[in-house]
Amino acid sequence: MRPLNWLETQTEAVYAYILLAPAFALLGLVAFYPLLQTLRFSMLEDQTAAVDVFGGFIGLDNYIDVLTGNARVPRQFIDITTTSGFPYLELGAPLLRQALFVTLAFVIISVLFETLIGFGQALVLDQDFRGNRWVRVAVIIPWAVPIVIQAMIFFLVFNPNVGFLSDPMQSLGLFGANPLASTRDSFIIVTVADIWKTSAFMALLILAGLQSIDRSLYDVAKVSGATPWQRFKYITLPLVGPALIVAMLFRTMDAMRIYGLIDSSVGCSTVPSMTCLVIISLDQTRRWATASTVAFLTAIVISLFVFVYLIFLRDTGGESLA
Amino acid sequence: MSTDTEEHPDIAAQQQTTDEPEIDRGLLEGWVAKMISNPERAYRMAFYTFTIAFLLTTLFPFYWLLMLSLTPSGQFGRESIVLTPGGFDVSLLSEGDLTMGTNPGAFIDVFTTLPFHRYIFNSFLIATIGTVLVLLVASLAGYVFGRLQFRGKTPLLLTVLVVSFFPPAAFFVPLNRLFSQNFAVLEPIVSNGSLYNHPSAIIIPVSALYLPLAIFILMVFYSQIPDGLEDAARVEGTTRLGALFRVIVPLSAPGVATAGVLSFITIYNEYFFSSLMTSGRPEDWAPMLEGVLSFQGQYETLFNLMAASSIIAVLPIAILVIVAQEKIVSGLTQGAVKE
Repeated sequence: MRPLNWLETQTEAVYAYILLAPAFALLGLVAFYPLLQTLRFSMLEDQTAAVDVFGGFIGLDNYIDVLTGNARVPRQFIDITTTSGFPYLELGAPLLRQALFVTLAFVIISVLFETLIGFGQALVLDQDFRGNRWVRVAVIIPWAVPIVIQAMIFFLVFNPNVGFLSDPMQSLGLFGANPLASTRDSFIIVTVADIWKTSAFMALLILAGLQSIDRSLYDVAKVSGATPWQRFKYITLPLVGPALIVAMLFRTMDAMRIYGLIDSSVGCSTVPSMTCLVIISLDQTRRWATASTVAFLTAIVISLFVFVYLIFLRDTGGESLA
Repeated sequence: MSTDTEEHPDIAAQQQTTDEPEIDRGLLEGWVAKMISNPERAYRMAFYTFTIAFLLTTLFPFYWLLMLSLTPSGQFGRESIVLTPGGFDVSLLSEGDLTMGTNPGAFIDVFTTLPFHRYIFNSFLIATIGTVLVLLVASLAGYVFGRLQFRGKTPLLLTVLVVSFFPPAAFFVPLNRLFSQNFAVLEPIVSNGSLYNHPSAIIIPVSALYLPLAIFILMVFYSQIPDGLEDAARVEGTTRLGALFRVIVPLSAPGVATAGVLSFITIYNEYFFSSLMTSGRPEDWAPMLEGVLSFQGQYETLFNLMAASSIIAVLPIAILVIVAQEKIVSGLTQGAVKE
């Protein structure tokens, strides 16, 4: 009883801090301390042959190597050199083999399609019709599917031996003979798999925004003779805007850290996303400091995106964000 | 009679003038004309088309996976498995072959080829302990953020939010080093003193990463409980923590269930730490994903086993989604709207 009695006598602020202690201990151990350590490791030298993987302090040299495409890892983070003549830029490796660009391309394409499809699904789920509940379950199931199984489904569907989609895609001339080995085809497969899984998540967030719209606005518009398209354009779209941007922010951050889907379907060397590059550097070359550098740069890129979204959200008048 | 014959041409002429365009337009154009004259009908058509298309794209892959898993090993082919399993033949039923040329035995082979049940058990254990840990820690923090007033509340809440922004990769290198290190303190608990190949190497990072969402969900539910109820319990002589666990938490049971279901699903589905923090052997607490992947890695041509193991691993989650659909929807939307 003694510790509880002691707790009773404390002020509300002290009580609050005590109750928060476990949560912040856990976050400190798993997030804050490792983040600082990652920053420290990224400024140390790689030692691939010694017992300890880290050497002495070398400042920003790792960052310079990674950003100029000179890091000694199988795939580069960014590999562009400037030239004197047109087009002034030269690619050291194909664009989709550079971690930064393949991740950005993936994020932009997947988030764009997920927003469009998710919006469509949300408009459907917003209607009252028989079987609404079951359609909703069907839409959520892909969201709840484990990443490894999502990857397995698309690995099998596009597999040249058994997949029913590998032949049609080949005859359309979109895919080569072995789509799971080509960077471009694999990139498309990964993007389609991601859209299939997470459009539902977008749909749910947008649906929440749709359902908060006052229905009487639609009645007024109908009486005034607005067509369904006009009702969508002048009522739905502006009012659902903040919810839409929050949903896109969530999806963007999540798409930025893509790893599991790639690792278990087409392989990290084929489509080297930023997180993939961290793991490749660790596993294949034992360059822990370079891996830390890439990891920290990943965090910086994501922070930049979050920052841009927050500015957008402030401008559209989203009051839901603190 | 004569009046009849006089009227007929008139009516016939009238009908002809109205019918004539229909005949000229043909089937498709007539249909389009109807849509134009009655837009509501067109919108309804579009609505049903969309709905059916969504249902097909989300559910067909699972159906196809089932067909693939029922295909006997020798019958894999791109054309043979689309709507029916390869080797499927209804006429075999009359010969007394109940399986009709398919091979449901794949669902048993999954467990005899590899100890797949052990992988599933590991995943369930990790997800269950992780969920309990998340609920416990998030309950305390959610109570603080939802019901107490103190200095530094907003900055602390924002700090929690920021954690969910960072990629797990940014934490991985130091965590991997930390969990591979040998600590003498841990030797009584784990054989070699290192947490690598121990379930807690997955549970600790994964539950920390999904903690923020649970905190936000519980915060919303706890703040909705009227103050009077908590005060009454305190006047009756309950301790502060007693009031939290005997009044607030039971009254927010739907919120706790929502956070629990979401945590369980996300931890069960997690890939990053789950694949990197164990050696991948079932006796080293490797979760379900390693089991599914070893069918892909070791038995390259046993596509039916890959499909069967995927179906087995997805079943618990599918059942959970059907049962707890409302909770998942409310939890996901609430967490996001609040954040």
